[in-house]
Amino acid sequence: MSSLNNNNSPKWEGYEKILFRFFAIYFLLQVLPLDWKFYGNLFRINWADLRFSDIFYISRYTPQFISGGSTPGAWGLSTLADWVLLAVIAVVGTFVWTARDKNAQNYNSLYYWVRVILRYRLAIGIIAYGFIKFFPLQAPYPSISNLNTAYGDFNRWKLFSLSLGIVPGYESFLGLVEIIAGLLLLFRRTATLGAFAVVVFTGNVFFSNLAYEGGETIYSLYLITIALFLLAFDALRLYKLVALRQPTAANTFKVQLQKGLPANARLALKTLFIFFFVVLYGYKTYAAYHKDIYQFPKTAGLPGAAGLYNVSQYRVNSQEIPYDEYHPNRWQDVVFEKWGTISIGSNEQVVPDTASTEEVYNTDNQRNYEFNGSAGRVYYSYVVDPVKSTLTLTSKNKKTADKLVLHYTRPDSSTIILSGVRGQQDSVYAQLTKINKKYLLKEATVGRSKALKL
Amino acid sequence: MSSTITASPEAESLQGQIADKPAASKKVQTALPPWKTYEKVLFRIAFIFFLIITIPVNGEWYKNLFGLDWLHLHYRDLYDVARFSPTLYKFDTHAYNLLGYIDWIEALAIGIVGGTIWTVIDQNKTAEYNKLYYWLRVIVRYRAGIGIIGFGFTKLLPTQMPYPSLGLLNTHFGDFTAQKIYWLSIGIVPWYQVFAGVVELAAGALLFFRKTTTLGAVLLLGALGDITYVNFAYDGGVHVYASYFVLFSLFLILYDVVPIYNLLIRERFTTPFTYYPTFNKNWKIARFSLKTANIAIFLVLLFYLQFINWKYDPYKQPAVKGVSILRGNYKVSEFKINNQVIPYAPLDSVRWRDVTFENWSTLTYNVNKPVKLDLSNGGGAAMRDINRTFELTGTAGGKRVFYYDADTINKVLYLQDKFVEVKKRGKNAKKKAPADSVKTPFIPAQSLANVGDENKKIDAAALSTRRARGITEELKDKRKRNKMILNYSANADGSQVILTGKDEKKNDVYIVLDRINRKYLLKDSKLVAGKY
Repeated sequence: MSSLNNNNSPKWEGYEKILFRFFAIYFLLQVLPLDWKFYGNLFRINWADLRFSDIFYISRYTPQFISGGSTPGAWGLSTLADWVLLAVIAVVGTFVWTARDKNAQNYNSLYYWVRVILRYRLAIGIIAYGFIKFFPLQAPYPSISNLNTAYGDFNRWKLFSLSLGIVPGYESFLGLVEIIAGLLLLFRRTATLGAFAVVVFTGNVFFSNLAYEGGETIYSLYLITIALFLLAFDALRLYKLVALRQPTAANTFKVQLQKGLPANARLALKTLFIFFFVVLYGYKTYAAYHKDIYQFPKTAGLPGAAGLYNVSQYRVNSQEIPYDEYHPNRWQDVVFEKWGTISIGSNEQVVPDTASTEEVYNTDNQRNYEFNGSAGRVYYSYVVDPVKSTLTLTSKNKKTADKLVLHYTRPDSSTIILSGVRGQQDSVYAQLTKINKKYLLKEATVGRSKALKL
Repeated sequence: MSSTITASPEAESLQGQIADKPAASKKVQTALPPWKTYEKVLFRIAFIFFLIITIPVNGEWYKNLFGLDWLHLHYRDLYDVARFSPTLYKFDTHAYNLLGYIDWIEALAIGIVGGTIWTVIDQNKTAEYNKLYYWLRVIVRYRAGIGIIGFGFTKLLPTQMPYPSLGLLNTHFGDFTAQKIYWLSIGIVPWYQVFAGVVELAAGALLFFRKTTTLGAVLLLGALGDITYVNFAYDGGVHVYASYFVLFSLFLILYDVVPIYNLLIRERFTTPFTYYPTFNKNWKIARFSLKTANIAIFLVLLFYLQFINWKYDPYKQPAVKGVSILRGNYKVSEFKINNQVIPYAPLDSVRWRDVTFENWSTLTYNVNKPVKLDLSNGGGAAMRDINRTFELTGTAGGKRVFYYDADTINKVLYLQDKFVEVKKRGKNAKKKAPADSVKTPFIPAQSLANVGDENKKIDAAALSTRRARGITEELKDKRKRNKMILNYSANADGSQVILTGKDEKKNDVYIVLDRINRKYLLKDSKLVAGKY
């Protein structure tokens, strides 16, 4: 057999054995759940009420021996420092292994099993992201507040997410690509195709994270390195076949498990794995898409109030403040979302939330997607008391915490009058008139060939 | 360990022998294995089909090619050579054009008819078409490679998606079309656009060499498959040209699909069939020269032309520097129309707000009044700033965008609306405007001298025949536009500007502008196109 097919030959070269030892140790350290915090998090999961987010976080395991925070229950992401540590351990391990294993002829069998582990780990990682795009959860359609925020008041990562959120069909397509790549990895014969797809797709994710300053540069690189290692198995073969166009031998190493326990155990494990990470997870993301878009709060807002309002009258401590575009804190406009959020366009300073990793939050308080990466509007979560006709607002993104208790009256379907107290002593009065706003984004969905006037 | 499976169904590879001379000159003449009948028929159809869609048949392309001034080239000259797409016949009824794919259907129909005739004429005499298949692949490889490289350079030197202007940064997200949002989402990250350009260029360059053709085709399929889908999702308008490359890449991948399938999925020992014609000495020289010329023109020269375009005259962005002290975001501190002060009110339908003076020859402002919108995707290659409309296309929210010519001696701005009505198709298109033909020119002659020649207002390195011709041609445009003439007076650094004059409805306006330091959360980029 030609020297280009060493991974099947009975005798490996010295450098091949050393390289294998290093990469086997390095990748097993990266992929096998050795970080004790992982088990702590597993224990904290409520298995009786399993959420898709639990499976999502499990699939996103990365060892954080250096960077792991001490907050219990926090799932994090590893950093380059963690990688360096693992690489150093792998180098040391390679020396030790080389010294002790001088007579090894080949590692065909061990290579096979390392590949199995990596294939499955990569598959569940990529499928986890695939399903939250296939059911467009990761990037939801922009909220009313987002539609009324200036383009330059968003940061890059937020604009990336919003630009994807407006085309759920395309988002689904991207998710489907990831899911298929993952499924291809689960079967030995199609694994190389899946790995190639991951390199191309996740390669783009990596560069996007760099360019848009997203928070998942290292994690996407993690998946890419695994995929590249998996590709290496067939890389020379493909080069020989496609580029050199020479007769090429295929892979011939196969593991035949004995009938009975070993073969059955394998089938059972594989089925369980696929059931948990693909079928169950897929079902739960489907359910989440139909019941609870996790990026936005769940609690319903004031019925029938959703929309954009002009603040035609505004008084603070009984002092009328007329229209003033550059006033430091006059309300310029108000948005009521379908859920319990109010956002107020004003010149008040806000703290732009710039968290940029994918997180799934279950309580409304934590759900910060709508104001993440944006300025120009002050966001309040609010609770309705229909008996007393009051709204209690709590600020979500102000520099200093803010609370308002406002009595509301609705003389007609397009007017809301709010009056009440901000904090301890300031009185606030605002008259809101609904604007019949037409968004070009929505009006133009019928096509751009018809003339429009907006 | 199970034994390897022996020889695959493919025949052994042989070097095809093209005999210029009779067989007697060779010791052994081995015939290539014959093709099945359906393979031959399909090939004949495909051959005709691909020739029609890759080789220009209409006059436009040749007119452009032979009109090139090779000493004063503009990137668009070469880009238009690379960017041929087949137009056979388009129906007047929009629906019949099948989203623009009708030309492909027509080419396929011709292919089927032609292929059938060819089959009948051939009467099964030809056993195989390996040689023609080879040449067809060469044509498709080079057409696809040159085409995608033309495309790729406008990303490598990021000009295809311009960085948003101040006016666009101030626009609310919901006031854009989806197409605009997608274009802006790439425009804000010029380095990512560069990366996308590298991928496209790599795919194209890989197609130029036989060894790397399949890899190039796979990359091309991935990148342009995604772009095709994006164009459907965002209504981008370029789906036909993008899927053109998908079609080419699929055709090229066909060659290796079965061998790769056999090797990886069936895990069989595979011998890929290869045919390569032998070239005599003259052929070899010609081939080498053509290949070198191709790389010299479409990789080296085009790179240079794209570079100076990006640096001095980015083709979608106005190139002429604006008045240096009139720059930035301004608030309207005072607004008088016909001597009546109008205070600020968000719903006022007359008062200007959010005034911007861009780095180039544009003034924008917003008014809370519905306006007719330009929903085109802002593409094309206009040479005059007034026709570079990316600040306007796909944008609503009451934004007005005006091109200005500045007479800096007399401190006058001659403003023209960048929005112009689309010419109506049909009978009324060529209606002459009788009285208008003897109008006084918009800019009086002595002011015009102060304004200067638009063609020369960019760095000399980027001057080209195309620009000069284009500007002359575009100056003949007689479409009606809204116009304003405003006198400006400003303090030393332009932080306060007073505009007086007549607006588009001939009202007297008096506007006091104060520059504001509006901070954006969006980080700007170090990679800036144009010189202002």
